[in-house]
Order: sequence, then structure tokens, then C-alpha cells
Amino acid sequence: MATAAVSPSYARTSSGSPSGIWSWLTTVDHKRIGTLYLYTALAWFAVGGTEAVIMRMQLQGPNGRVVSAEVFNQLFTMHGTTMIFLVVMPLSAAFFNFLIPLQIGARDVAFPRLNAFSYWVYLFGSLFMNASWLVGMAPNGGWFGYAPLTTLPYSPGLNIDFWMLGLQILGVSSLAAAFNFITTIINMRAPGMNLMRMPMFTWMAFVVQFLLVLAFPVITIALVFLQFDRFFGTNFYTITQGADPLLWQHLFWIFGHPEVYILILPAFGLVSEILPTFSRKPIFGYPVMVYSGILIAFLGFGVWAHHMFAVGMGPIADSVFSMTTMLIAIPTGVKIFNWIFTMWGGNLRFTVAMKFAISLVALFTIGGISGVMHASPPADLQQTDTYFIVAHFHYVLVAGSLMGLWGGIYYYFPKITGRLLSEKIGNWHFWLTFIGVNLTFMPMHWSGLYGMPRRVYTYDAGQGWEIFNLMSSTGAYLQALAGIIFAYNIFRSRTHGEIAGNDPWEAPSLEWSIPSPPPDYNFETIPTVTSRYPLWDIKHPELTASVPHSRHGDERNDVSLGGKHVGAFHDHMAAGTPEGGLNPNATQASSKVSLKTAEELGIPMPYPTIKPLWVALFMTLMFASLLLIHKDKLPLAMAGVVTFATLMTGFLYAWLTAPLEPHHH
Amino acid sequence: MTAVASHAHPPTSTGLDHRKIAIWAFIGSECMLFASLISTYLIYKGRSVVGPFPHEACNPPVCATHLNPILNIPVTSFSTFVLLMSSLAMVLALAAVENKGKPGYEGLLGSSKFWLISTAVLGITFLGCQAYEFTSFVHEGLTIRTNLFGSSFFTLTGFHGAHVTAGVLWLITLLAIDIKRGLGPKDALLVDIAALYWHFVDVVWIAIFTLVYLIK
Amino acid sequence: MPFHPRPRRLAQLALTVALVAFLAACGQDHPDTIFHHRTDVNRDVDYLFKILIYAGTAVFIFVEAILVWTLFKFRARPGQPEPEHVHGNTTLEIAWTVIPLLILIVIGIPTVKTIFKQQAAARSDALQVEVIGHQWWWEFRYPQFTMRSASGKLDTVVTANELYLPLGKTVNFTLKSRDVIHSFWVPALAGKRDLIANHTNYLWYTPDSTTSDAFNGACVEYCGTSHANMRFKAFTVSQADFDSWVAHQEAPAEGAVAVGTPISPDSAAKAAAPRSPLGSQIDPNKNLAAGSTQAGPTVPSSGKAGVGVPPSPGAVNTQVTQAGFVAFPREKMPAYTVPSTPLPAALKFDDNVLASGNAANGAKLVATGMCIACHTVRGVPTMQATVGPNLTHVGSRTTIAAGLYPNDPRHLARWVKNANEMKAGVGMNTFGIGEYDPITKSTVKIGFTDAQIADIVAYLSSLK
Repeated sequence: MATAAVSPSYARTSSGSPSGIWSWLTTVDHKRIGTLYLYTALAWFAVGGTEAVIMRMQLQGPNGRVVSAEVFNQLFTMHGTTMIFLVVMPLSAAFFNFLIPLQIGARDVAFPRLNAFSYWVYLFGSLFMNASWLVGMAPNGGWFGYAPLTTLPYSPGLNIDFWMLGLQILGVSSLAAAFNFITTIINMRAPGMNLMRMPMFTWMAFVVQFLLVLAFPVITIALVFLQFDRFFGTNFYTITQGADPLLWQHLFWIFGHPEVYILILPAFGLVSEILPTFSRKPIFGYPVMVYSGILIAFLGFGVWAHHMFAVGMGPIADSVFSMTTMLIAIPTGVKIFNWIFTMWGGNLRFTVAMKFAISLVALFTIGGISGVMHASPPADLQQTDTYFIVAHFHYVLVAGSLMGLWGGIYYYFPKITGRLLSEKIGNWHFWLTFIGVNLTFMPMHWSGLYGMPRRVYTYDAGQGWEIFNLMSSTGAYLQALAGIIFAYNIFRSRTHGEIAGNDPWEAPSLEWSIPSPPPDYNFETIPTVTSRYPLWDIKHPELTASVPHSRHGDERNDVSLGGKHVGAFHDHMAAGTPEGGLNPNATQASSKVSLKTAEELGIPMPYPTIKPLWVALFMTLMFASLLLIHKDKLPLAMAGVVTFATLMTGFLYAWLTAPLEPHHH
Repeated sequence: MTAVASHAHPPTSTGLDHRKIAIWAFIGSECMLFASLISTYLIYKGRSVVGPFPHEACNPPVCATHLNPILNIPVTSFSTFVLLMSSLAMVLALAAVENKGKPGYEGLLGSSKFWLISTAVLGITFLGCQAYEFTSFVHEGLTIRTNLFGSSFFTLTGFHGAHVTAGVLWLITLLAIDIKRGLGPKDALLVDIAALYWHFVDVVWIAIFTLVYLIK
Repeated sequence: MPFHPRPRRLAQLALTVALVAFLAACGQDHPDTIFHHRTDVNRDVDYLFKILIYAGTAVFIFVEAILVWTLFKFRARPGQPEPEHVHGNTTLEIAWTVIPLLILIVIGIPTVKTIFKQQAAARSDALQVEVIGHQWWWEFRYPQFTMRSASGKLDTVVTANELYLPLGKTVNFTLKSRDVIHSFWVPALAGKRDLIANHTNYLWYTPDSTTSDAFNGACVEYCGTSHANMRFKAFTVSQADFDSWVAHQEAPAEGAVAVGTPISPDSAAKAAAPRSPLGSQIDPNKNLAAGSTQAGPTVPSSGKAGVGVPPSPGAVNTQVTQAGFVAFPREKMPAYTVPSTPLPAALKFDDNVLASGNAANGAKLVATGMCIACHTVRGVPTMQATVGPNLTHVGSRTTIAAGLYPNDPRHLARWVKNANEMKAGVGMNTFGIGEYDPITKSTVKIGFTDAQIADIVAYLSSLK
């Protein structure tokens, strides 16, 4: 039993945690770091979204004159790089940070200071990469940065330097975070929380950390080669020395395809939390959902060359990668069906979070199907590098990842801040997003099949592409409007959001057993877990009594189709609010119990520290110094590297030698 | 343990220390790093348009003058042996720390300091061999900019050398702690994770030695 | 009425509008669609695409139907009990693993068959075309058609940004790049294939329309600043017209006369007449006249008969007699192949001087000016550089700047005056006096006046 469950609802807590800017700069609390990730990523979403809107203005009609070719190329490069590395990955990281310890019943992550370091590296890395706009040299080689276009003879400016150094910095952040979360999940689960009782989000997060750990070193090496070529004159991508331009592509996509699953699996995990809660039913086929996630990740390392069917790998390689790519559709399809059958027979409550989750299921299917179309090389050769593939991956990454993440924000916002987002404004956000996404990306299937190449800053009139581009641009403007409404909703909730209480959605997992926002120590007593749905066990013993939640006992072979409605109406159900689905009791602070501080409880919490921030800053500056090499200031660059490396090492030493927390022995 | 202490840190799920799990995850990541480097070296093997080449002589007109095969197998065999021996020393260092004060761990051969120094010195010897190798290659006309072989060879072995250097610094840090306050069984984990890293670097070198030096 | 009706009503309205717009859009003309079946390859792709789209649509409808029905059927109603906690169903899990697998097998088998068919070696009597990608233009070489210039140099038929292909004959492209990666694509003819330095690729197909056609082609791998401006035209013409075009291309341009190369007055007629170029002795594969009668639909297993009809032997002259065809007739160019890129507003040129352009004077300016650093005009001894497009027959081409502008004096003049203003990032210097040259990063002092540019334009236009 989760011993800490169903305690009274709390108002916004003041559990002794300090406030003010300094407290945020020095925080090592996984929840605060998650919050920092969340808002930073949302800020970059505004930037990346603006880049997209400018591009759509340019392409709204033929022969557009909004921006120049050069600026457009920078825009699409930075749009892709920003959305992938500065928005979707950090948004996922926000949830990893906030949720993983709460879901497994831990007080923090394994390495709290390393966690802070990951965030600061991400922040400084993202600022560094976008600083390129200020000097008018934003990266312009595409997010995929194919050599030899990115090598010195073809890209002499600082543009590519900003890009490759920025990616190296961000890679450090992702890897450090991945080691941290792997350790956290393996080693910090509450008693009874065996692997097959972990919530689906934590499971998908777990899988993603392995993808990060195994995929990022590959692009690190590809980027090291590029750095050496550009800075020191090596020959990895030098055509005249006999280099093979495909080396970059192979290394990039061995990273790049797992990266796709790094982007989508966290959203899958969030949807797997949202759907059961608002269907009032457990996830359908939990073990299959776990295994399919692992299988997707595993197969994800064997399909990279399907990004390269046009490069001429020969019929055997084409066939092999075609088959592995098709295979990956199976576990993905299994997930879709399991989600649908999670809802089947439930009492569906269409909150905004639920709507976003459902639209992921509905729209990701489209991206999945066009994905299978791309898996067939002869067809892919007509589709790839046209707007058809732009449509495909935006259905996967916007209608998939982002929809899931938006749903996750609506679902977890009350846990993060203690206040609910407005469902009414949220509905505007949802519907405008839904329409906007489809209006933007659906017509791109047609413009692609009708011959429009991607990554073009302009196109000629009379090709039959005008109407589709106009629709896409209109959809993009709607999405922008939706984004503004979303921002307003978040801003408004600070003062006007309803008080959430512990468990506004009547959800099953541990994070809902503690106050919102949770105290810095999360759990007063570490809970003991006996099932996958500890809170539902408490609230609905009549339903769980017959279901053995033991490790292997979850499979029941009868599916109730049509849903027979027997039994008493449960008093916790949100009577009269089928749409909002909020527990009326939970929307107001039922009591103003003030929480005990960690000190009062005798729980040692890690000291706040500024050192990870300094280490991150000096590491970023160390990388940034390398830019000077191309200004023909090698000595200055080296001086910068040595200075900042020394400072970084100094602060790292101080960090490692300072105690993490008060000693109790 | 006191009640407060058990409140503070519940036992880990696996019973292992966090750092031990993390170092294994880190080593997994490093595997992919070196796999990428080694694959690149192998892909570019034989594709250089000018010499010097690793295993073959280069003659005019491909090269301006006759160039001998550049790899010096005897020297590298020696440095490989040195690195293997350093792993052995590392094992003994860990055993000395774990069993400090127990019978059989007295004297020089039971001293963790001795074995840590030995490991570090063997590591430095390996690095010295590498420095000698790099210098002689440069004298024979092979730099990191000369050809594909030069670029991929120096980057691969250089990355490995950097890892050995980091390992040596790590060992020296442990040694400093050992000298300052002495490493005992309760510090075994500190040495254990350093040892894991060191053995990993060693194993990678075996792969490099086989694929780069031995296989023509 | 459900909660929050306004956004939902908005959604319904928007979906309706979108649907109507779609239907309107689909009724339009789509000249560059991949659904043109003008080659054997594209028909195979279409067959595969149909399997994919039918299977995909079926899956889509099936999934969305269950989903929508679930949402409707199981929406929460007041007074409903807590639903039964169902945890899974092994039979269903197996079903939705196995059924997709079967669908994928149905897709996979024809996929692999098509891969091996399309990547087999091209038939040996295929027309060979070398495609070389440059930032940002296309070089098309026809190595089977060679000739010796006056100086004894061996030359190949080479053109830029315009591809001529005979109908009914397999063409085998050899794809190379001089710099970064490009990708060669004519959507109406076949899928794309990348042009990669140190990694030569091949692509073959057989154009088999019944009439001559003009198609748009494009670079589809991002290749830098003017990637969007790296386009080309592909013309599929009858074998006879193709032979005539080749014969014309083999001859020096008429305009080359102006430099004083001794060429007889009837050179124009000669140019178009059948010649016996050196190439026929050098290259046994050369297939100019007699061989072409055998050219039919080339790959026996091209699946379906398709709309393309092989040219009957009678339709092809065994001896090229029609001397008229030197280039695809401009009046027959469909509108969508004529570029409508607007002229840059900042670039001023006095169009009145174009009428008084003197080709002879222009020839001198070209042959002695900076043009010689990059361009070839076969027959002009000083013009042998191969950095930029070969200009021997530039006057006969329909577009300039890689399909960006129509080839007419107005555009050509501005191009010579300030190419960078016309097309971002090009490697060609600015020649108009007083214009800014981004390559030298200075204002042009030693260059051409508008009148001189008019002379150059007159000369270049005469290079038919």
C-alpha cells in the first residue's frame, strides 16, 4: 500500500524552500530544475515557432520576398535545430526531472548537482547557439549539416562553427542527464516498485536514457571530425583527399534515427499516463507497452540508412534497411491499438490534456503510415526531400511529440505549480493547435507529391503549389495564435488558476499522493508500493480486489466490449462535470495544513550550490573560445580555452570536494 | 543505523552505489564513442590518395619519394604489454584497498600506494610510447593533415591517449588521497570505479591494437 | 450542448473550409507531379505507391474509425459507475502484431523486387549522360558524342541546365558532383538520386511518352545558398529530333564566327546536317542513326504496358534529314516550364540599348574580358575554362541561371551586369560598372557599361 496516499489537499505550500533568483541559480532540487527546463524550452519554442512563421510568410506565395535566400537557410537550419535540441528534448527533460523521482517514490535524482549542471549547460549552450543571430551568422547548413557543405571551403563563415560547437555543448548536457536518470531509475525506486510496476512514463524515460547514452557519442565523434577538419585541417570530409561524404551521413543518422525516438518516446509515455487517468481504466497491455517501447528503441539503431536511400547504397543495403524500417511499424502500431483499447470501455473525460493525448493517437497514426510509405525505397525516392517528408515528420514530431508534451503540461501543470490551467482557454489552445497542425502539414503531402522540393526559400508560380502553400501558411499562423493563447493560459494561472490539490484528476500513480507543488523532500515517508496503480487501490478497492497486481498476474483475457455499467457510482467521481472532469472537492483548498520542512522531519536535503552553474558556464566559454580560431586568432583562442578550462576544473574540484548534504552519521 | 539515517537514505534498489551504476552507463556510452572512431578508421583504410600508408610502402608516382610502411609493430607490442600489465596492477591496487590491514596485505606488495603508483607509471610509460610513436611518424612525414590514414589514425589513437591521460590523472588523485588519509575498505568504491574505467580503456586498446596494428 | 462549444464549432467550420479548399486544389494542374507516367520507372513506382497508399488508407480508416467510435461510445456520462479494470488481452495483442506484419509482407515483397529491378545495370546500348552538379547549376555531358575542334582538341557534347532525351531509348545517367552533394530529380520521369563527390551514382530510365515534352527538374539535396535556384529543364524529343539536336551541338556555334574563326558561310546548314563525328569511331556505343530504330521500350519486364508507346520504326528516320531542330521550340514550351522569377527591383538596366547591341563587338569583349576565366565557347581559342557553364550554344537554351530566368536579352543583360543580385551567392563576378560585387567586396570600376553589356548580350544570343 502507498502509505502516503490520500492525505488532505494542501494549498500552495511553503515548505521552507527559499525563493528569489539566487535560490533558482543554486537549486539542486529536481523539481525546480524541471521547472527551469520547462520554461526555458517554452521560451525557445517561441523562438523556433517565430522562425517557422517567418518561413511560412516567405513561402505563402510564389517568388516570396520576405527574407533573402541566406536568411531563409539560416531560418530552417535554426528552426530544426531549435525545435529538436532546444525544445522537444528539454521539454522531455523537464518531465524526466520533475516526474521520475516522484513516480518511483524517490526524494531526488541520484546526482542532484550533476542534474543542475545538465540544465545550466543546456541553457548556456542554447544561448551560445542563438548568439549567432546577433552577429548575423546563424548556422545555415541544415540541422543535418551534411558534409562537405559544412566544411571550410563551402562554409567559410562562423555559421557552422556556432552550430557544431553548440551541438557539442548540448550533447554534454544530454549525456550527463542520461547517466543521472539511468542511475536514478535503476537504483532509487521505492520498496516494492519493481520494474514492471513502474509507471509508463518512467519506463519510456528509462528507454530514452539508453538511447541518449548510446546515440550521442556517435554524433559527438562526427562533430569532432568536422571540428578537426575546420580548425586543424584534417581530411575526414575532404573530397580531394579521397574522403567519402557518406561517412558523415552514416554517423549522423546512426545518431539521428534513435534521436527520433528520443523525441517521441517521452510523449508516448505521457500519453500512457493521461489516457488511463481520464478513461478511468488501467493501461491496456502494460507489459506489451513496455516491451514495444524497448523494441522500438532497439530497432531504432538498425534503421538509420532509410534516411539515405537516395545516396546509392546498392540494392542489398536498400532492401535490408527497408525491411527493418517496416518492422519498426509493428511495435508502434501495437502502441496505438493498446491506447485505443485503454479507452475502450472506459468513462472518457475530455479534459484538454485528454484531448491532446487523443490527438496524438489520431495524428501520429498519419505520420506512422507515411513513415511506412517512406520505408519503400522506390517510392521514397520520389517522396524524400520533398514537402511530403516535411509533412511526414511534422505529423510525427508536432502532432506526435508536441501534442503529447502539451497534453503532459496540462496534466502535470497542477502538480508542478499547484494551480490548474484554465480548461476553457485550454480548449481554444487545443482546437487552434489541432486545426493549425492539420492545416499546415496535411497540404504538404500534396505539395510534395506534386514536386515541391524542401529547403527551398522560393518557388516559381504556375507549378500548382500555390494553394497548398497558402493553406500551410494559414495553418502556421493559427498555430502561432494557439501558442500565444497557451502562453496566456500559463501566465494567467499564476494568479487565477484554480488550486489543484494533491490529485485533481484522480490519477493512479505516486506523484498524485503528495501535495502540489510537492515539498522539496517529495515524500514525508518513502512509500511502499504493491501495485502499478497504488492510488487507485486505495480509492477503488472494490475494483482492484480481484485483480492481482503482482508481477505476472496482470493479464486477464476477457475484454468487456460495450461496457456494462454495474456497481455503485463512486463518490470520488466528478459528478456533473463530465467535460471538465475535475473533482469539485479538489479544486479548492480544503485545508491549509502547512507542511513540515525537511529539517523538521530530519530529512537531509542536498545543499544548494552555485558551482554547477559556474562549471557549465566556463565549459561553454571554453567551447566558445574556439570560434576565435576562425578569426585567425589562434593564440587568443588557445588562451581562452586554457583559461576557461582552468576555471572549469577549479570549480569542478570545489564541487566534487564539497559535501553534498549534511552528514547524519 | 539510527532512525534518522535510515530516514535519510533508503537503501538503493540494487544494493549498489549510484556511482557504480553511473560508471557502467558511462562506459556503455564510451563504447559507442570508440566504435565510431574505430569504424571510421576501418572505413578509410586503404582510401588515402597519398602516403605514408600503415602497412604498405608508398612509391612514386603516388608519393614523391619512397616511403616505408609506417606502423612500428614491435614498439606498439611493447606498449600494449605495458598497458596490460597496468590493468594487473590496477587489480592488485583495488585488492590492496579492499583488504587493507588483512593478513597477506602487508609490506610493499600489499600496499595500495605501491600498486596505484605502478598503475600510473605503467600508464605514463604507455603514453610515452605513444608520444615516441607520434613524433617519429611526424618525422617520417605523417601528420594528422597528411591523408585520410593520418587523420583517422591520430584521432583514434589520440582519443585513446587522452583517455589514458585522464585515467592517469584519476590514479594520481586517488594516490593523493591515499597518501593524505589512507584508502581503506570503505573507500573501495572510489578505487573500484577508477579501476572499471582503467580496464575499459585497456580493453579498447586491445581492440585498437588488433584492428589497426595487427590486421593488415 | 457540450462544454465550451465555441472552439469546437470553429473547428467544424475550419475543417469544412479545409476540405473545400482541398477539393479545389486537387482539381488544379500539377505539371511536376510524380504521378506522370512518362517512364518505365515511374510506372513501377506508381504501382508500388498505389499499394502503399491503398494499404495506408485502409489502416488509417480502420484505426480512426475505432478511435472515433470509442470516443463517442465511451464518453463519460453522469451517473456512470467506475469502469471495469481490464488489463489486457493476449489474443488481441497477437492479432495486432500479426496483421500488420502480414500487411508489411504484402508491401515488402514488391518493394524488394522493384529495388533490384531499378538498381540493375542499365542495358548496354543505353544513351549515356553524365550529370555533374555544381553550386548551383547542372552540367550535362553526352560522352558518346565527341568531336575534334579546330585545334585538334577532343570535345564532348556538353550543355548546361537543359537535358535532351530521345523518346523510347533508355538513358543511363552517371551522377557526379564537383563540390557539395546535390540530388538529380525530374519528378515526372523518375525518383531522385544524389550527386556525391567520390561516390558515383547511376540512374536509368526510358522516357516513353508519345509526344515530345518539357519537364521541370530540380536539385533536391540542400546544397547551399541558392539551392532553391538550382533547377533545370528536361526535354524528351523524338529520336530524329534528338539526333538533329546532337548534330547541332557538335558543331561550333554560329556566333563563334564573329571572332574570326575560319568557318565557311554555309556553316549554319552544316551545323545541322548529319556529320560523322569522331565519336562514332571512338565510341562503339554511339547510337546516332541506324541504331535508334531498335530503340524500343527497353526493359522487358517493365510491369505494365503503360501509356508510353514505343516509337514505331517508321517514325524514326534512319538518316537525319530534318535540319530544323536545334532546340526545343520555345513556343511549344508549356507555361509551367517558363520561369516567372521577378527581376530584382534594385538592379537597373536601360533596356533601350539592347536593340543596338553589336554582336561582333560583344564577341571581342567576351573573348578578351574576364569571361575567359570561367567559360568555354568552343571554337574561340581564348575561351576554354570549365568553371562555369559551357556557352557554346547558350543562345539556343531556353533559360539562364539554372532555370531561374527565361533566356532573353532583358534577363541576360541584367545577369551579366550583376549576377549576384539576380541569384544569391553565385560565383560569377559582377560586371556592370558602378555595381557592388560581393565576391571582391567592392564596387566595380573596371567593367562594362550598359551599351557594352548590350553588345555582349547580342553576341551570346547569337550563339545558337
